[in-house]
Amino acid sequence: MKKYLSLLMAGVLAVSVLGGCSSAFDDGSSSSAAAGESGGAQTQAGTAAGGETSQAAGGSNGGAATKAAGSNVIHIPEHDEFRTLDCQKDTEFYVVPLNIYDRLVECEVVDGVATIVPSLAESWDISDDGLVYTFHLRSDVTFHNGNQFTADDVVYTVERMMNPATAAVNTDFFSMIKGANDMLEGQADGVEGVKALDDFTVEITLEVPFAPFLANLATPSCSIYNRAATEAAGDQFGIDPAVTVGTGPFKAADWVLNDRVTLVRYDDYFKGPAKIDGVELIQVPDENTQKLMYENGELDIVDLSSSTSQLAYFMGNDAYKDNLVTGPEAGNYFYAFNQDMAPTDDVRVRKAISMAIDRQTILDQMYSGAGHVVNSMLPDGVLGSYEAEEIPYDPDGAKALLAEAGYGDGCDLELYQKTNDPDALAINQVVQSMLSQVGINVTIKQMDEAAYLSERKEGKLGMTRAVWWADFNDPDNFLYTFFTEKNTKVRSLNHKNTDVYQWLEDGRKMVDEDERMELYKKIDMTMVQEEAAVFPLFQMDHVVVVQDWVKGFQIPWNGWTDTSYYNVSIER
Amino acid sequence: MLKYIAKRVLVTIPVLIGVVFLIFVMLSVVPGDPLTVMMGEKIKVDVIERLSETMHLNDPWYIRFVWYLRDVVLHGDFGMSYKLMRSVSSLIANAFPKTLMLAVTAAVLSWIVGIPAGIVSAVRKNSLVDHLFMGFALCGVSIPAFSVGMLLQNIFNGILPVSGFASPIHLILPAMVLGWNAAGTIARLTRSSLLEVLEDDYIRTARAKGLAPLPVILGHALKNSLLPVITMMAIQISSLLSGAVITETLFSIPGIGRLTVDAINGRDMPLLQGTVIFTTTVIIAGNLVADILYSVVDPRIRVEGGK
Amino acid sequence: MATFEQAASLAARLAVDSVKEQFSPQERLEAVQKIEEEELQYMPMPDTMRTKILGMCRENKVAAVSAVVLAVMALVIIFADKLTVYDPNAINLLERLQPPSKVHWCGTDDLGRDIFTRILYGGRVSLLVGVIPTTISMVIGIVLGMVSGYIRQLDAVIMRMADIVLAFPSIVLAMVVMYTLGATTSNIFIALSMIGWAGTARIVRSQTLSLREQEFVEAARGMGVKKWTIMFRHILPNCLPSLIVLFTLNIPDAILSEANLSFLGVGTQPPDSSWGLMVSQARTFAVSSPWMLIFPSLAILIMVLALNFLGDGLRDAVDPHMKK
Repeated sequence: MKKYLSLLMAGVLAVSVLGGCSSAFDDGSSSSAAAGESGGAQTQAGTAAGGETSQAAGGSNGGAATKAAGSNVIHIPEHDEFRTLDCQKDTEFYVVPLNIYDRLVECEVVDGVATIVPSLAESWDISDDGLVYTFHLRSDVTFHNGNQFTADDVVYTVERMMNPATAAVNTDFFSMIKGANDMLEGQADGVEGVKALDDFTVEITLEVPFAPFLANLATPSCSIYNRAATEAAGDQFGIDPAVTVGTGPFKAADWVLNDRVTLVRYDDYFKGPAKIDGVELIQVPDENTQKLMYENGELDIVDLSSSTSQLAYFMGNDAYKDNLVTGPEAGNYFYAFNQDMAPTDDVRVRKAISMAIDRQTILDQMYSGAGHVVNSMLPDGVLGSYEAEEIPYDPDGAKALLAEAGYGDGCDLELYQKTNDPDALAINQVVQSMLSQVGINVTIKQMDEAAYLSERKEGKLGMTRAVWWADFNDPDNFLYTFFTEKNTKVRSLNHKNTDVYQWLEDGRKMVDEDERMELYKKIDMTMVQEEAAVFPLFQMDHVVVVQDWVKGFQIPWNGWTDTSYYNVSIER
Repeated sequence: MLKYIAKRVLVTIPVLIGVVFLIFVMLSVVPGDPLTVMMGEKIKVDVIERLSETMHLNDPWYIRFVWYLRDVVLHGDFGMSYKLMRSVSSLIANAFPKTLMLAVTAAVLSWIVGIPAGIVSAVRKNSLVDHLFMGFALCGVSIPAFSVGMLLQNIFNGILPVSGFASPIHLILPAMVLGWNAAGTIARLTRSSLLEVLEDDYIRTARAKGLAPLPVILGHALKNSLLPVITMMAIQISSLLSGAVITETLFSIPGIGRLTVDAINGRDMPLLQGTVIFTTTVIIAGNLVADILYSVVDPRIRVEGGK
Repeated sequence: MATFEQAASLAARLAVDSVKEQFSPQERLEAVQKIEEEELQYMPMPDTMRTKILGMCRENKVAAVSAVVLAVMALVIIFADKLTVYDPNAINLLERLQPPSKVHWCGTDDLGRDIFTRILYGGRVSLLVGVIPTTISMVIGIVLGMVSGYIRQLDAVIMRMADIVLAFPSIVLAMVVMYTLGATTSNIFIALSMIGWAGTARIVRSQTLSLREQEFVEAARGMGVKKWTIMFRHILPNCLPSLIVLFTLNIPDAILSEANLSFLGVGTQPPDSSWGLMVSQARTFAVSSPWMLIFPSLAILIMVLALNFLGDGLRDAVDPHMKK
């Protein structure tokens, strides 16, 4: 009997192992099949293209790693798994939305200046009071499912965002529209301010004037969805790639969880089909591994600005000189001080800290000098940026200020950061050592991301290093995010300047551009120069390393890692 | 026998509830909520407040604990992951085959290397070979997995894939990391238990009297001495199946271990509960199998009835 | 009387408490098995123990050498400040990522700190993390194990608690504890103690179970000696030999667990260093600056290896079955 039992056990084990083997790699094969099918079904001239896509995806099956060589697909590493491809429900992962959806307008660099350009909307009119926006839509746009894009889809997109049942997280991008908040609070079935005047004209009325509204519409969160497809997809929209439909240059073809998302070219794209067959977004959380895979040719484009530890290696290596693509980043690194906590409740201490940190040395030594020191919250390339007065590096002056503030014998300071942030850790340790030179004893406190964010939300963190990149091209996006009464607590700044709170609200409603920019300059100077509520560090150059055969890659206007790959081509 | 198994299975139920309870209590003390961490820098307090309400995140932990148990017990529903917006069971079903593949490869590797090394070491006790093999085995259990992993990644860069899980060759490096560690354990255990048997009086007498040649004796000795090794193999497998957190993180293998760590970091309570219940069950089952194997292989041992 | 089956299942459960990546529990497995099999031949203390250890040093050269290596390492770590001219936390960006040289024996890290110096100072953390949690968890384990084995009413409760800890993937448990308490060195001690006690408790319990049936214990009980006196005066001394072995073998476990926690970002906090943290910080520079990875890895390897050799030697020495 025992013999049978042991045989049985061995059998069970064997079956489960074999089952495991096949199912573990099933994902790969089904992905290639899906990619191949959808590629083939869509193409007119593209059976070969579809075939190649499937080869690339299915290569994993055959045993060889998914090599970039020989395919017309680009391979991009991703640090984290996407939450969903539905950008109304996510604030973080925009690379897929940027490639599979379109917005009414886009922000692009034209002659070196970030400009709002037409996209799904051909043109638009704005009423003199800045309240009514009328968009004239293109009539030649189709969604991936073949449906024509109409004004009703715009109405649907706004209403879906504001529908409480959607549980969207990006409601703030539409909440300035008249009646939007009523729908969100369940008091209306639709959004009063959005009307389809005819099939290709849509009129949006705002509650109060909101100057950055157009720029705001160019963010990925405002991507336009198709009513029929999205309603039919239900909660699978954004989860199941087959039902996640947009108008963009690529279609979501496959999503192997924790492995890769495969995008394939949409041949009927209204701006003309993309030059590459598709994009593979591969999960490679480790930066060192990203570098190794790039060197093996398994990755085509690696964003070094999101893998900063590899920056020095590529920038210091002559072999990669021609592979580096750089561009400005519309974003700032800075230190934020908590004004509810000693010793940073004293403006002299805040200024002393700023004067004791040698930013240029940090930039040169740790970031290969790829950027420049800034003295304002508004980085170059963003509307309203100006030449701000230099915050000097002056350790002696810092000591004097500290003595004046009553900290002549030194003081303790807590510097908070997330645990899995080696970049912040490195710079924080340097700052720790620099501040010890003027008698400030810094303790670095690491908290795991969730705890860090939730404590910061309560306004309880001490000094923190922060980064902000532009969502949309307007000073409001920088200053409002940090300095309003509510946000200053959420960011653990706790500044008390009530004038600034008011100015920020006023700025949103101003229609005169010049006056508006003057106001934002005043806000910025008050917060940075006078109050030293934050200490701007640098604006980094965005550095991306691309393989020889990748052509046409451009850093987007805001220097995001997430970008559209529509203009990229492969030439060998 | 069946009674015994039934008893052991019953005992695991309070253990499982205890594990779930422990997690609930501990994570309810930790600051952080899934929505805040999900939004990251783009934090919006209004949205968090509104969604917390609809997702019942504001309820005290004991209420959520009771609801959770009700869903699991009555509906067999492990809930939806906050972070990945999919059902917890589908996420585990997705991750487990990868962990299984890795575990089986690593285990088989460790047996192929470990058992022969242990036998040779025992037979040629205190020889150079013995010291070399045992030194190698001990190194496997004396160095952190991520040290080995990083070294291997550097050495084999360009020769073997160093990350991901696209094909069987992606398994080689992580399996080597886990396999070396497991092989060390197996080799040492094989050696010591074989030595023990070889030095038993009756075998020494038999050999002294020249009753049987070494291979015959070895065959007999091996059969007896492999008992603890087999037990250890079962334990190792279950331990590997519960996910190698470090190795999976280092090699970007989307298995159970990484899923668990992601769940903790994302305060994704339903997902964490699911993975913890799963891994705990696997470990307990592995131990049970080890016990049963022990009694099946060695007729001298009988498991007790339902005492 | 404990059966062989109980011994096996016991060992099985014991083994699970090791972190998945490190299967070192076979030492414990063997120790328990032998203790179970030899339960009648409990060891009198302490003279025999001392002779056995001395004998081990004579016979087992590797263990003796390991003891010397450990002693040297301990001295070097303790007198770190006398042995190096550098400050372990002094940042010098102009000298970042220097390869090993006469000036920096093990090179410098990404912030220009001397790696040799950091290994010396980091050894203090690693050594403390090895010894302190192991001591705490052994004390908890011994008390709970004896109570569980001697006071039968509490047995079920304590053993289910141990089951819960052992059934948990221990790195995950340690991680959650670190999140709950916050990442500081003293909390590492607590986290590692929380996962470490259960294994010890099981071993002590099984020994107590067999010892309480022994004549001398029954005699003491007959004479009206109090429960606690019996436990600590009569039973504990008889468990000591195997506990000493267990202690030696648990230290490397703790050191590796700390390394794993540091790798996951919840271990030792900068600017302090532990060897595990140094290795994990080397992660992003492993290719371009391999010395950042190799030297701290070697430090861990040598110390843990020496501890394992010593533990093996001790076990052989106190275990009559393995005597040559």
